[in-house]
Amino acid sequence: MGILEYHAVGKQFGGRTALRDVSLEVQVGEVFGLLGPNGAGKTTLIRIGLDILRADEGAVMLFGAAPNQGALDRTAYLPEERGVYRRAKVRDLLVYLGKLKGFGRKPAAEAADGWLDRVGLSQVADQRVESLSKGMTQKVQIAACLMTDPELCVLDEPFSGLDPVNVGLVTGLIEERRARGRTTVLSTHMMHQVEALCDRVALVHRGVLVEYGQLDEIRRRYSPNEVIVWTRTDLLALGVTATRHKAGGWRVELPARETAAGYLDALVRNGVQIERYEPLVARMDDIFVRLVGGGR
Amino acid sequence: MRVKRVAAVARFEFLAVVKRWSYLIATFGLPIFLAVVSGTVLGVQTYFLTQRAEESSAFGLVDGPGVVDASRFEPRDGEKVWTSEASDVVLYDDEEDAIGALESGRLRALYVIADDYLQSGQIRAIQSEKTPLLSMRGTKVEPLLRSLLRKSLLEGRLDEDVQERVIAPAVFVRARLGPDGVEVSEVDEALDLLVRTTIPLFLGVLLLTALLSASGYLVQTVATDKESKIVEVLLSSVTPEEILAGKLFGLGAAGLVQFAAWTSMVIFVALSASAALTAVIAVPWSALALSPILFVLGYVFLGSLMLATAALGANAAESQKLTMGWAMLAILPLMVLVVLLEDPNGLLGQVMTWIPFTSPLTVIIRLAVEPSGTAWWEVAGAIVVLILSTWLAIRVGARLFRVGFLLTGSRPSLAELWRQAK
Repeated sequence: MGILEYHAVGKQFGGRTALRDVSLEVQVGEVFGLLGPNGAGKTTLIRIGLDILRADEGAVMLFGAAPNQGALDRTAYLPEERGVYRRAKVRDLLVYLGKLKGFGRKPAAEAADGWLDRVGLSQVADQRVESLSKGMTQKVQIAACLMTDPELCVLDEPFSGLDPVNVGLVTGLIEERRARGRTTVLSTHMMHQVEALCDRVALVHRGVLVEYGQLDEIRRRYSPNEVIVWTRTDLLALGVTATRHKAGGWRVELPARETAAGYLDALVRNGVQIERYEPLVARMDDIFVRLVGGGR
Repeated sequence: MRVKRVAAVARFEFLAVVKRWSYLIATFGLPIFLAVVSGTVLGVQTYFLTQRAEESSAFGLVDGPGVVDASRFEPRDGEKVWTSEASDVVLYDDEEDAIGALESGRLRALYVIADDYLQSGQIRAIQSEKTPLLSMRGTKVEPLLRSLLRKSLLEGRLDEDVQERVIAPAVFVRARLGPDGVEVSEVDEALDLLVRTTIPLFLGVLLLTALLSASGYLVQTVATDKESKIVEVLLSSVTPEEILAGKLFGLGAAGLVQFAAWTSMVIFVALSASAALTAVIAVPWSALALSPILFVLGYVFLGSLMLATAALGANAAESQKLTMGWAMLAILPLMVLVVLLEDPNGLLGQVMTWIPFTSPLTVIIRLAVEPSGTAWWEVAGAIVVLILSTWLAIRVGARLFRVGFLLTGSRPSLAELWRQAK
């Protein structure tokens, strides 16, 4: 059973179809990547999952039941369109948002202080949000989202506006959640972050689910049957069809039925001194462009 | 609906408003400002009155044609003086002597009766350089001189009592028909009008201002939520109904504090006035007592509709425009205030008592102007209608609020609104 399930979900706005027959599930403890170009329907999908919008067709299950307030208390959401009360003080804002999730005043205050410390903002706790930089405000929002330690957390573009240090900080927080068995849905256009963090992904395009499954399996499926071999041996002299790769090795396109492991074995048996060997795996950027780029 | 979440929203909204300088100034600064202004005005008036009292109160009269009854003037320190109502009128035989007395400051003004007075009726009023222009208008000397001339002209021609009636043909004694028969009170007409209209008007304007002020905060907060894009964060934690209720309670409490501060000022003034002028001022205690109830009901009714409508706007300006209609309906009693003050228990007043938009203000004005003319069942009925309307407004308002609050960017069609409101 998934922590969040969509069953044949459809949604229309006026005469425009935002989602059509989308079925997927987010499993407990994973980092799930929700991908797609701008306007693909990702945010609508998230909103429906969190009961902010209602689906016109299909069904949504959150924690095994139709979305309800009890289930929503176990979730947190960082929307892409960031929202804060700019005139509120940082700590007051966090305490308020914590209380809206069902925390008492004292636990909310303790959680707020703890999380401000974790994201390095303790010194601005009593400042108004409007006095913070964009990146600091972003971290306040991430702290607000994670401070209740939600079982399911939906982060829509959590890295936008952050410098590399803070990207690292947020990445660490997401990995730490996974280590503790907490589930995270990550919607982002930063494909290298998807590759680094996600266990499974779904790619939505024009309201339709065009790819869905294990990240590694998808990448493998879209990967060419090629390897890169770093060796001092001249592979061309051995009769291998190879080209020089930009990374310094030889790029070898394998025969249709050959596997990377089998080819490595064959090279070693032929006395080739291998310094480094790497099957070529498709990058998510390329898969993304291939799946959604053609029609744009 | 979860009470703790509603309370959390209410507390946050309440504190967000009451910590603003604009709120603090409007709530507590305004009464202080009015008190300071009133005190200053009174102080300045008192100062000038005192100054005037210290000025000479003697006036000169030169009677060339001899029309004034000189027997009324008594000799005092070598002068002929007629004293009446704290003013001395000194009769001079010679105009030059009188001018000299005016120049020396002995006289405040000099009146010279023209030689052809009986034909022209002219009397020259001469003021000294030191006397402020038009300052004679505020004194009683000219009415006294008229009276003196009338008496002098009538002397010996009519009986004494007829003379009195020619001089003062009517003394009006004011009376008003009360609930238990004729109640005679010596109320000055201007004061009576002032008493009967000022307090109800003041109370009504305060109620309306507080209602619209609190409703304005509601519109502002919804617009802020939508513009700041925090809506989705809120809606992933609490329901639109909980947000609506929290905002209503929180900002209503802020409005109530404001209304209480302002009403305290009215009560203070009323108590002071009551103590000083018990005989002439009837403090509208029933209206004052009912005003918090009417404020709360009127606010929740109007606030629900305003919140729902404001949520349909994409930004603050649009929300303001959309809610203007409700505000206009609430202001209606002030637009027809003259009719309500003139005839508080007439058809218009009675009809407006039963309309939830207008009933809070109308009931306050009716009770303040003429408490005895408003039946208890009318007040009770108005409150019941207001409660029922409020219940309906909250139900419909919460649904519209949900639609408006969720749909950012695009405004729902009327058909969609109707579907949601059902």
